[in-house]
Amino acid sequence: MSDRASPRTQDEFVARRRADWDALAELLARDKPLHRLAPDEIARFGALYRVTCADLVHAQGAGYTSELLGYLDGLAARAHNLLYAAPPHRLGAAWDLVARDFPRTLRKNLRFFALGSALFFGPLLVCGALTLTQPSFAAHILSHDMLDRMAEMYSHGLEGRDEGTDSAMAGFYVFNNVGIAFRCFATGALLGLGSAFFLLYNGIVLGTVIGHVIASGHGRNILTFVCTHGTFELTAIAVAGGAGLQMGYALIDTAGRTRLGSLRAQARDLAVLVLGAGIMLVIAAGLEAFWSPSSIPAPVKWSAAAIFTVLLVLYFALAGRRRAAP
Amino acid sequence: MIREANAAAPPLDTVLEVETPEQVRFRYQLAGPARRATAYVIDLLIRAAIVIVCVLALGLAGYAVGGASIGAMLLVIFAVEWGYYVLFESLWSGRTPGKRAMRLRVVREGGYPTNFLDTVLRNLLRAADFLPSLYAVGATVLALDPRFRRLGDMVAGTVVIVEDPARIGAAIQISPLPTAEEFAALPARPPLDAADLAALELFLRRLGTLHPARERELAEIVAPVYARRLGGHRYADPTRFLALLYLRAIGHTRLRPDQPQPQPQPPVAAAGPSSGGRRVRRPRR
Repeated sequence: MSDRASPRTQDEFVARRRADWDALAELLARDKPLHRLAPDEIARFGALYRVTCADLVHAQGAGYTSELLGYLDGLAARAHNLLYAAPPHRLGAAWDLVARDFPRTLRKNLRFFALGSALFFGPLLVCGALTLTQPSFAAHILSHDMLDRMAEMYSHGLEGRDEGTDSAMAGFYVFNNVGIAFRCFATGALLGLGSAFFLLYNGIVLGTVIGHVIASGHGRNILTFVCTHGTFELTAIAVAGGAGLQMGYALIDTAGRTRLGSLRAQARDLAVLVLGAGIMLVIAAGLEAFWSPSSIPAPVKWSAAAIFTVLLVLYFALAGRRRAAP
Repeated sequence: MIREANAAAPPLDTVLEVETPEQVRFRYQLAGPARRATAYVIDLLIRAAIVIVCVLALGLAGYAVGGASIGAMLLVIFAVEWGYYVLFESLWSGRTPGKRAMRLRVVREGGYPTNFLDTVLRNLLRAADFLPSLYAVGATVLALDPRFRRLGDMVAGTVVIVEDPARIGAAIQISPLPTAEEFAALPARPPLDAADLAALELFLRRLGTLHPARERELAEIVAPVYARRLGGHRYADPTRFLALLYLRAIGHTRLRPDQPQPQPQPPVAAAGPSSGGRRVRRPRR
């Protein structure tokens, strides 16, 4: 780093300082994260970044030409991005999310979870009940083909499916269900309308299918199949959809902020909720593929479903609470 | 979507000003739609290649393990659809292979790096930006936003910036070099402010890329303004007049070799509000 005496002209300034800028540009051109550089290079990088910032300030004050300012701007900006790169990721953060942040955030935004649940489970129950009481109702919602296939699928239960099919279905459940939940969340950016649509749509279709299968006399089969993973899967869809509604609502009721500011204030909560829902859906996919279709006796599955439901409620209600002050 | 510009704001431009912890302010160049679309296409091809290679490999493996390979294929497609951007943008500090190729980077609006949750949000919201198809919503929102943000950027509070390595260009010169008489005809301190100088500099830098007729046409619009300001200065060639004016203002001293060389005089101050110091000569490579 050469002497800092104030040069008189831009040419002199450039001539005197150029070596440092070139050295900084050379370090940047390697395109490596900072910790991959040699120790002395890291130290040199910090020093070069600081003198380049000082040069930029000098050049701005001295009113040098826009081209030189642009060059120094770009150089300082690229160095800044390397120096202030994202910190390395910790595995502990994933644990914090599950053990603390997700249930806390869910409790904090309980009304959106409740609204999401209402929009999803409401039509599910209504359509299920309608299908049971009026057998012709299902045909208004889904095609006969689809309904026949569903009834056929559950007519002899899924127990005893071979292992290869189980594994294939695990992939399918992750691909399909997590995708549905993510879309259900993301489309909430359109003032919540997308989330509301996907919640209602999935609730209506699911209610109709379950109602129709029960009406066809295979109720025991489908409910035994669904009960365990459904606890996680359906709740997670409601969580993701609720987060989408929360995002949409932030655009409408801004609480005195700008619309963007209001949206931004929710960003962290939204990310935590949707990640939590994603984890729940991966658990659900594992259960749906390997546990639900297994030949484990129905009473065991029912007991497991009951236990999981209680655990999930306890988790949502209690996990991550701060210890009461002594 | 939201108007952020007002009368007091700086003129609309594709830059983002950032103040660092070192109390230095610098400007980022914001990435426009074309460049981002190109990066997207590169990433799309890479993602397609990953899926094709995995599907082929798993398809071959499928003879050995049966149905499980179909499950694995679906997992790969899921991971590539939802995980590709999150993985690269969090590992490479806001860059994917496509962004890297186009020298783009995602940063927070304050110029800071994105964290994992920002990355998750901005990429999950691709599902909303993509609607109804081919990023129609995202492109519309981006076109209306002064900082080129799509919905995902707005929710996560991020912008995409360009990291082009800039160069210090060659000095502005005119040929033939000015004569002493030409310089003497101009005042030692031409009445130009910083904006005048910046405009002249831009024009003179573009000389090589303009058609001569267009160049003359542009110069003929501007030159009379300055001639009037100098009290009815006469000139033969408007472009040369503007170049001489600019060189005089920035303290250029090199004259034609057959001319008597003057002593280098102190450079002339530009009367701009932003220029606390001296206007000086162009850098030379």
